[in-house]
Amino acid sequence: MNFELAVRLTEVIMGLAFAQQSLEHIRVAVNGRLLFIARFVLAILLVIGLQSSLIIVLLLFIGFAMLHRFDGPYNGGADRMSLLILSCLACVHLAPDLYWKEIAFAYLAAQLMLSYFISGWVKLINAEWRNGRALCDVFEFSAYPVSESLRGLAASPRVLFVMSWIVILFELLFPLSIMSEATLLVALILAGGFHFANAFLFGLNRFFWIWIAAYPSILWFQQRIFDTISV
Amino acid sequence: MLNILKLLLPALLPSWNFFDVIVASPRIQLSLLKSADDIAEDWHEFRPRPDKLSFTQMLLRLFWNPNWNDSLYLVSCAERLQEFPTRHSEDEILKRIVLDLKSASCTKNDSAVTHVQFRLVFIHREGSELVTETTYYSRVEPLNMEVNK
Repeated sequence: MNFELAVRLTEVIMGLAFAQQSLEHIRVAVNGRLLFIARFVLAILLVIGLQSSLIIVLLLFIGFAMLHRFDGPYNGGADRMSLLILSCLACVHLAPDLYWKEIAFAYLAAQLMLSYFISGWVKLINAEWRNGRALCDVFEFSAYPVSESLRGLAASPRVLFVMSWIVILFELLFPLSIMSEATLLVALILAGGFHFANAFLFGLNRFFWIWIAAYPSILWFQQRIFDTISV
Repeated sequence: MLNILKLLLPALLPSWNFFDVIVASPRIQLSLLKSADDIAEDWHEFRPRPDKLSFTQMLLRLFWNPNWNDSLYLVSCAERLQEFPTRHSEDEILKRIVLDLKSASCTKNDSAVTHVQFRLVFIHREGSELVTETTYYSRVEPLNMEVNK
């Protein structure tokens, strides 16, 4: 995937994700509905591709306003990933030459890789994750399961033990998938499935869409690295 | 400006330590009061999760999930109140409680209810037992609190 296409795809997917988030905010907003109406309009303009540089900078300012409005992120990691992508895209648009544009976009790809690897590492070093107890606790008493009936899964510790290890190993091994385009594609499909499961079971729909928005950066990065090596 | 930078930094240099430890989980409970001096005795969970959701409902929430995301934000506010209490987090929870009560039929039919209070109950594991602990009581707020949608 070439650089221009990867940047444009990131803008389109992120724009759609922001539009979806903004509509949700407009539905439940307590004060500040105008902010999300503006964000929705800008997100649609970004998808269309009008004045992308200006739109991205304006969206970044709205991101700052949201941080101020909610005294931190509204939706934890999903909001942080949104700001990370926005900041990297802003650097891509404002950087003076291709070298710095590529550095900014590569930073996004590196952070995406780290988002899986570090999540896996912190689980691996925790005995509660290694014996499956942590995932049992997520279902048994955390705030995340979307219905009471899902709490019943806590009564299946063997299943959750296996699931814990599948998640840990997948997250830890994710960086190795960059070795070839084919393995990276498979890993991204599996990662998308992982976010889908989190959205389905825990209602974390915003993570699903915004993480997918960062995928073009790693597809470009993989090709860029191996093109450089082969040259 | 410094505050914005402090809030932005974790996005630019993220820690990515999702679910590293399963910490105590908050529940927001509310009590309806008949005056500002009324003593809260009867507590109800605020926005209890449904008993069951169909496959289709769970799937559709991938595209449209405003109430759940707002409830997750309130979980963050509850955790912030536990760690470093601020007026902002308390206001955010109270505003939503008042808004929900204004649109619910129970308070419309009961004109004697004039105030509301919430408390935070945290659930955590101690060995093989689940322990609940009430850690925070909000101020008593009149139901005519100004909330602009």
